[in-house]
Amino acid sequence: MTVLLTTQPPIESPVLLSIKQLCVTLQDKAVLSTLDLTLNEGDILGLVGASGCGKTTLLNAIAGFSKPSRGQITIDSNVLSDGDHSVPAEKRQVGMIFQDYALFPHLTVKENIAFGIAKLSKAEQKQQIEQLLAILKLNDYGDSYIHQLSGGQQQRVAIARALAPKPKLLLLDEPFSNIDARLRNELMVEIRLLLKQFKMTAIFVTHNKDEVFTFADKMAVMAQGRLLQLDAPSIICQQPNSYQVADFLQLGSWLPCKVNSAGAHSLLGDLETESIKGEKSRLLYLLIKPQQLTLTAKVDDKNIANAQVEYISVTEQGYHYYLRSINSPSADSALAFNKISLYSNVVLTINQQVLVLIKPHDLIFFERNPL
Amino acid sequence: MIALYNSRSWKLSSYLIALVLIVPVVVMLVGGVSTSTQLFVHLWQTVLPSYLENTLLLAFWVVLLALFFGVFSAAIITQTNIVFKQQLRWLLLLPLAMPAYLVAYLYTDLFDYAGPVQRALRAWFDWQSPDDYWFFDIRTLPGAALMLALVLFPYIYMLTRGAFEQQDQNLTRASRLLGLTAKQSFFKIALPLARPAIAVSASLVLMETLADFATVQYFSVNTLTTAIYDTWLGYGDLGAANALASVLMLLVLFVVLAEQRSRAGLRHQSARPNLNRELIKLSVIQQFMASIFCWALVILGFLLPLTLLIIMAVQYSDVAQLSVLISTGINSLKISVIAATVAVLIALSLGLYQRLHSDKYRHLPQQISGFGYAIPGTVLAMAMLSTLGPLDHWLNGVVEFFGGVAPGLILSGSLFAIIFALVVRFSAIANGTIMSGIKQIPQSLDYAPASLGVNLKGSLVKVHLPILRPAIIVAWLLVFVEAMKELPAVLLLRPFNFETLSSQIYQLISDEMLEQGALGAILIVLFGLLPIIILNKSKEKV
Repeated sequence: MTVLLTTQPPIESPVLLSIKQLCVTLQDKAVLSTLDLTLNEGDILGLVGASGCGKTTLLNAIAGFSKPSRGQITIDSNVLSDGDHSVPAEKRQVGMIFQDYALFPHLTVKENIAFGIAKLSKAEQKQQIEQLLAILKLNDYGDSYIHQLSGGQQQRVAIARALAPKPKLLLLDEPFSNIDARLRNELMVEIRLLLKQFKMTAIFVTHNKDEVFTFADKMAVMAQGRLLQLDAPSIICQQPNSYQVADFLQLGSWLPCKVNSAGAHSLLGDLETESIKGEKSRLLYLLIKPQQLTLTAKVDDKNIANAQVEYISVTEQGYHYYLRSINSPSADSALAFNKISLYSNVVLTINQQVLVLIKPHDLIFFERNPL
Repeated sequence: MIALYNSRSWKLSSYLIALVLIVPVVVMLVGGVSTSTQLFVHLWQTVLPSYLENTLLLAFWVVLLALFFGVFSAAIITQTNIVFKQQLRWLLLLPLAMPAYLVAYLYTDLFDYAGPVQRALRAWFDWQSPDDYWFFDIRTLPGAALMLALVLFPYIYMLTRGAFEQQDQNLTRASRLLGLTAKQSFFKIALPLARPAIAVSASLVLMETLADFATVQYFSVNTLTTAIYDTWLGYGDLGAANALASVLMLLVLFVVLAEQRSRAGLRHQSARPNLNRELIKLSVIQQFMASIFCWALVILGFLLPLTLLIIMAVQYSDVAQLSVLISTGINSLKISVIAATVAVLIALSLGLYQRLHSDKYRHLPQQISGFGYAIPGTVLAMAMLSTLGPLDHWLNGVVEFFGGVAPGLILSGSLFAIIFALVVRFSAIANGTIMSGIKQIPQSLDYAPASLGVNLKGSLVKVHLPILRPAIIVAWLLVFVEAMKELPAVLLLRPFNFETLSSQIYQLISDEMLEQGALGAILIVLFGLLPIIILNKSKEKV
């Protein structure tokens, strides 16, 4: 996992977008329910969530392509949508980069870029187009048609076209999903720098968390029409606020523990806890990352095995093992685990029994309640 | 899908257009059903059963023959190794350009007692009278069926060929790996999978047969269409004609419903079109037979009739004929250009409505407007007469009430009625073409203009219409050609002394004088080739 620990800007810039209690219903199904979100000027927000969680619907509601049944959307203190009144999409000053780019096939690159600035004088249009072509390294393609360009070039045209009318907010719907995996990272860095250069506030949707780490200042995790957590990516990684967030982002493996104020009991040993209150023990799940585990491959009477190898794969960081608990009649079946992730250079075999210990660290327990 | 616009006036006008297109048929059906039962009882006791029997028998034979011609030729072209396959592939489409009544006339000319074939036979064998030998009579119901099948089978050929070519080649490969020969695989896999396409194309042939008027009229085979024509023009009995038209309409409706049910079934299409399939290797004799079969269809359905027409034109053309050709040609052009333009405008308006409006039932106006294609021209003509006639009388009454001079039959007695009928009948063609164009526009292009600050009008003018230009041109051409060829509706609705190319040729055929209109007939055939070229091209692209 590549985690770019972006530091937060020292001074908070003013709020640009504010969404309050937003509800969108499509075909009698609530796609967004009571969603709140604020975004500061110049920030790039990465919106992640499983498919069908309402990410694209949220973008459409902001752009004016779907009508909220309730709630308010404000940009720059102009109310775009609340209850009964709704500003039409073309008057919102919200730009959008579509997943398939939606470039006009019958127009040249220049004509595509000029599309949104037809109200300007010819001279102004020309100057602005030339400037955008230069910045996006499209100088040689101004008179080409879209089908003559590569995927990356098409995406740059889409960006130029969206930036030309100088929108207050730019929305990007899975902008990198059509790009070759090898070029993707390079392109993301390039576009991020470009958006920063334009001081553009942007929201982009993806189902790939790694894209958020590379591209965004803020991260929002959505599930079933709700916003679960919104914060800097580094903070979400270190302090996910729920089981769903940690699980969706695959921040680690889950170890079932019986927890009370005395401590936590698991099949990988007993752990000390400080924050948990109450005498009665509860079943909670401990989030453990691979680097928080130590492996002892040689087991004997002193080092009693507590896990066995379930599955082996090879990665550039060494072997990746999935471990599961050892079946024993004395063990509490509720505490059994089957997919603890561990990286090591030690060669193990399938079903080999090993000893795994948890290094001391700040323990994060979650309840596993469905949404 | 999220619709974009909710303009009230657009909604209103869309439903209004659809309503106007459907109202005449409803009026006719109501008139037909509510006509005095006595009259219908009389019809039922006298002619109706035999007309109905003829109609059904004709339909049965045409579909059977067309299936035989169409499925076999499609199988030969796609599955076997015969020579000249690339040429036959498109040549087999050409008979579609030949109106059945022309073929009927030309073959009657060729094969009847006084025709060159029988004359030559008599001279050769020294026969003196009809009693000396047997020769088939073409002017019969089976003869009419053969004529219709010869020019309608390409529908089945085209769709079945398409189905064979679109089948997933991995299915064939799997069947081969499971031990089937190429031939067995064709009968066990390819043919069953093509059934939906065959059913759809057979129902197209069925509808065209039910709508045919001129062929059966020329052969004196009394069917429902000829009965409608005779009842109205011969006896002036609108009620009875409406009743007959309603019966035919119900028959057609039945076919449409059956077709839609079969469409609702499985459609086998794949992303791996079966273009380089392994062919069934025919023996030399089999290849020879298969080639003869295909070439016979091309020759009998197109090349021979066209040659006969060209010979006629060369022998009989003169200046007087040319001037008639020009005047009728201009009339044909006039109504076809207007009808094509109106149909395309309607299709655009309703197609874009379906795409861009937020109305929950936005597909409805377009669906209603496409309904007319199933309606035979004769039925449609009766619908126009029973709607526009009373409307004219009412208008005249209103004008006279206000002290004006009654304008006469400005709707039912003018080109308005013809054009109206053509638009109702061929809107579906324009709809289909425009809709497939619209479907090719990615959804995101609907949203992109708004995200760039451009409103609906700008989006239509700058994005949708320019992208749709090829579809608009094709739709216009298709309707234009169909309108040029349409006969029964024009015959029943034309004002006095108004002749189009097709009505003129029909008159000449009725008077056994096609020689005088051979040039015009060739022109109609040539126009008929246009949609075939377009259709073939768009099929090739798939």
